[in-house]
Amino acid sequence: MKRGRVITTEDALSVLALIVFLALPLGADDYALGEYAKFFAYGLLAASLAFVWGHCGLLCLGQAVFFGIGGYAMSIVTLGKIPGAPTLLSSWLGLVLAVAVPALFANLLGRFLFYGQGLRGAFFGIVTLAVAVIAERLAVNWPYLGGLNGLMNVPPPNLGLNAGGHEIFEPLELYFTMLGLAALGVLLLSALARSRYGVALKALRDNETRAQFLGFDTAAYKTTAFSIGAGIAGLAGALFVTQFGFASPKLIGFGLSAEALIWVAVGGRAVLIAAFLGAFAVRSVEGILSEALGAYWLLALGVLFILTVLVFPRGLIGEIVHQIDRRRGVDTA
Amino acid sequence: MQEFVITILDASNYTLILVLVALGLAIIFGLMNVINMAHGELLMLGAYVLLTVQQLGGSFWLGLIAAPIVVGLVGLVIEELVIRWVYRRFLDTILATWGLSLVIKQAITLYFGPASHSVDVPLTGTVNVLGAQYPAYRLFIMAVSIVAVLVTLRLFFKTRFGLAARGVIANRDMAACLGINTRRLDRYTFAYGAALAGLAGAVMSPLISLDPQMGLGFLVPAFLAVLIGGLGSLMGPVAGSLAVGATDNLTATLYSPVWAQLVVFVMAIVVIRIFPRGLVARRGRES
Repeated sequence: MKRGRVITTEDALSVLALIVFLALPLGADDYALGEYAKFFAYGLLAASLAFVWGHCGLLCLGQAVFFGIGGYAMSIVTLGKIPGAPTLLSSWLGLVLAVAVPALFANLLGRFLFYGQGLRGAFFGIVTLAVAVIAERLAVNWPYLGGLNGLMNVPPPNLGLNAGGHEIFEPLELYFTMLGLAALGVLLLSALARSRYGVALKALRDNETRAQFLGFDTAAYKTTAFSIGAGIAGLAGALFVTQFGFASPKLIGFGLSAEALIWVAVGGRAVLIAAFLGAFAVRSVEGILSEALGAYWLLALGVLFILTVLVFPRGLIGEIVHQIDRRRGVDTA
Repeated sequence: MQEFVITILDASNYTLILVLVALGLAIIFGLMNVINMAHGELLMLGAYVLLTVQQLGGSFWLGLIAAPIVVGLVGLVIEELVIRWVYRRFLDTILATWGLSLVIKQAITLYFGPASHSVDVPLTGTVNVLGAQYPAYRLFIMAVSIVAVLVTLRLFFKTRFGLAARGVIANRDMAACLGINTRRLDRYTFAYGAALAGLAGAVMSPLISLDPQMGLGFLVPAFLAVLIGGLGSLMGPVAGSLAVGATDNLTATLYSPVWAQLVVFVMAIVVIRIFPRGLVARRGRES
C-alpha cells in the first residue's frame, strides 16, 4: 500500500468533475444553468453530510436543519429583518451568519449530546431526526420567519459592502459564483478530512473506545466536526436561498434531510465528491424523469436507495472510486 | 371534574396507542437490533387496509381484524426481501428501512392519491364515565390497546416462543448456540411488530385523517418513547409511552396543541441525554 503524496482517485474525480462543470455552460441554456447552480447548493449539503456521516460516523438524520438555518439567516439579513438594524442588508454579513449560526447551534447541540455519557450511533440519529421535526414546526409557527409561507423575495447575492453594489443575477455569472463557492466548500472539507485532524476523526469513527484510549478527546472531536459540517450546510443553504428567492420551512425539516441522506447514500458516503455528484446526479435525473415517470419517480428512487444500501453500501460512485483505488493499490480506507 | 376526567381519558387514549406502536418498535429493536424507520408506514398501511375493506363493502370490524393480519404478512415479506440483508450492519438498517418507508408511502400515494381519507366511527354513542360523557369508540380503542399489550406481554413472558425471544434479546449468539432458531424467530418477531403497528393504525383510523404522510407523526414520538423508557425490558417502552403521551396531552390541553409536540420532543431529548439507557434501565447490557 502506498501512502503519502499520491494522487488518489478521489482527487482525480474531483478535478474531472470541476472541468466538466466549468465546461457545462457551453452546452446549456439559461434555464438549465439556473437549475445546475441550485444543484451545487444541494451538492454542498450532501458533501457536508458525507463529512459528518462518512468521515466521522455521525449519522445525522437532520442535516437540512443547518441548511435551513443558513438559508433563513441569509434571508433575514438581506431582507433587512435583523432586529434593531434594518439598514444592514449586506450579502457578506448574510454569508458569515449563514455559516456561523448553524455552526454555533451544532456546537451547542454537540456539547449537549456528545459529552458525559454521550449518545452514540442510532440514538444520535433519532435525536437529530426529532430536532429536524422540531425545527420545521418552529419555522412554521414563528411569524418572524414568515410562518408556512416562509420569507419571500430574498434578493440575489450583492457584491456591495452593504448591498447597493453589483448584483449577481445574470445566469452565467450566478452559475460560476455558485460553482466557485461550492468547490471552495468541498475543498475545505476534503482538506480537513485529510489533515491529522481528519485522520483522528476516521479513527474515532472506526472505533471510538480505542480512539479514547489513545488519548483523543473524542467528544470534542465529534462536536467540532459536527459544527464544521453544520457550517458548510449553512453555507449551502445561503447559496440556495439567494437563487431560489425564498426561504420556506421545507428547507429546514425532515423532507430535505431525508433527500440529502439518499443523495449521500447513493453517491457515496465516504467520498465527499461522490456525495456531491450523487446530489447533482439524482437532482438532474429527477428533472428529466419526474415528468415522464410522474409519481413513480419517487418510488423508483426509493427502490434505488434500498438496493444501494443493500448491495453497494459504499454508494454507486463511491464503489467505483473504491474499486479503482484498490486496483491501483492506493490506501484510502 | 368532568374536564379533568376527559383530559385524563384523552391522555390515556393517546398513550395506549403509542404503547402499541412503541412496543412493536422495541421488540424489533431489542430482538433483531434493527431500527425500523418504516414502522410509521406500517401503521399507515393498517389504516389503509381497513379503508380498503370498507370500500369493498366489508364491515369496519372485518377491516379491524384484517389490518394486523395483512400488515403482519407485509412484515414477513419486508423481512425476507430487505431486513435480513442488513442484520449485521446496524446503522444501515436505518437507511434500508427509511428507503422502505419512502417506497410504501409512494406506493400508497400512487394507489389512493395524496389526498386524505376518513373512516366513519363505528360506535357513535357516548358512555358516562364518572359524570363525564365520553365517546364509546375511544373507550373501545383503549380496550383494544390494553388487550393487545397484555397479549404481547403474555406472549413474551409466558410462552416458549417468548422465552426463546428473550433469550435472543439477552444474548443472540448464546441463544443460537443453545439451539434456538434465531432466523425463524427474527422473521416472526418482525411480522409481530408489524402487525401491532397495523392494529394501531386500523383502530386509530376513525379518529384521524388518513394520508400517506401520517406515519412520521407516530414514528418519532414512538421512538422517543422507546428511548426514554430504555431497551432493556419490555416495560421500558410502556413507561416511555406514558411519559410522552401524558406530556403531550397535558401540554395540548393546558397550553396549546401547536406547542405540545415541541415540548414533548425537547423534553424527550433532554431525558434521553441524561439517561441514555432509559428510565427503566437493566444493568449489564451494552446497547
